[in-house]
Amino acid sequence: MRVKTLGLAGLAALMLAGTAATARAQGPKAWLHVRVEEANRQSKVSVNLPVSVVEAALQAAPEDILSHGHIHLGKMGKRDLSVSDLRKAWNEMKATGDAEFATVEDEDETVRVARAGNVMLVHVDKPSGKESVRVEIPIEVVDALFSGQGEELNLRAGFAELQKRRGDIVRVKDNDSTVRIWIDEGN
Amino acid sequence: MLKMILIGAVAVPTIAAGSVAATGVVVVDVREARNGQHIVVPVPLALAQVAAAFVPEEKMHMRLPREAQQYMPVAKQVLAALAEAEDGELVRVEEHNEKVSIRKEGDLLKIQVDDNGEHVKVQVPISLALSVLPESGNQFSASQAVWALQHARLTEIVNVQGRDGEQVSVTVY
Repeated sequence: MRVKTLGLAGLAALMLAGTAATARAQGPKAWLHVRVEEANRQSKVSVNLPVSVVEAALQAAPEDILSHGHIHLGKMGKRDLSVSDLRKAWNEMKATGDAEFATVEDEDETVRVARAGNVMLVHVDKPSGKESVRVEIPIEVVDALFSGQGEELNLRAGFAELQKRRGDIVRVKDNDSTVRIWIDEGN
Repeated sequence: MLKMILIGAVAVPTIAAGSVAATGVVVVDVREARNGQHIVVPVPLALAQVAAAFVPEEKMHMRLPREAQQYMPVAKQVLAALAEAEDGELVRVEEHNEKVSIRKEGDLLKIQVDDNGEHVKVQVPISLALSVLPESGNQFSASQAVWALQHARLTEIVNVQGRDGEQVSVTVY
């Protein structure tokens, strides 16, 4: 009797531990948010998508857009944009740690590309102060994007990493509009 | 003998009403604002399905454009993921005199459009949308769509209120 009771208690404890572990593993659900506001048109657009939905769309994307989760970059404009060259450059940049990789200052705008901790920053500012672009991408996301072979970007792996981020990814502000893209756990 | 006729007179409509209730009824309700006309058209789903069975096969299928076929698996996956996701507002567009909102509430996708005094509400059960989308191939079956309305029981699937006060609603019971 005692052995049976102990056995049942042990089984119940294992089941409870399993449930708790599953609940922890699932964690709070992440949402991808996009907000676009245009002051002169009095327009506000807000899109909130569960990350699981975006992931499902990427998984099922047609083959000519995504080939097995990879996106192909071919010729862009007049220049050839080689993913393998970008991958090499990225590996070099990554190895240098925190640094300012590029700063371009001209009359129209200032562009700054830098690494700060685990985040790649791209900041574009107009002298007027009214227009700016802020892009913050975790290093792991760029790594995952470049995990494809040859001339492929691994979009699915990139998004899988991106969904771990909480906070702003893109902020764009100009004279009469703002765009914000971020991930959090609220809808 | 009279007893049998009476039992038959009660039983036949009861069974008929029971069958209609069991298989579902689509009720189209139209209210005219100007002359106060009110038209209610109940269509038993079973009747619509029987009617669909008599329509020639080639007329019952709608050929999907190639682009749409390509994105059908994406639509199915997205809807399946959405069905599993938490409830919330998915899209909100606010412009001068115009508002659009798409919400997910349980199995329902609720679309609401307010445009200059005109209001449109559409409620689509995700399970209905999933069962209507073709598994594969390039054809969309109208009879399948009628059958899929079973997923929308006790749901007002469309409600349109015009600027002049006219109102049209389609409810599945």
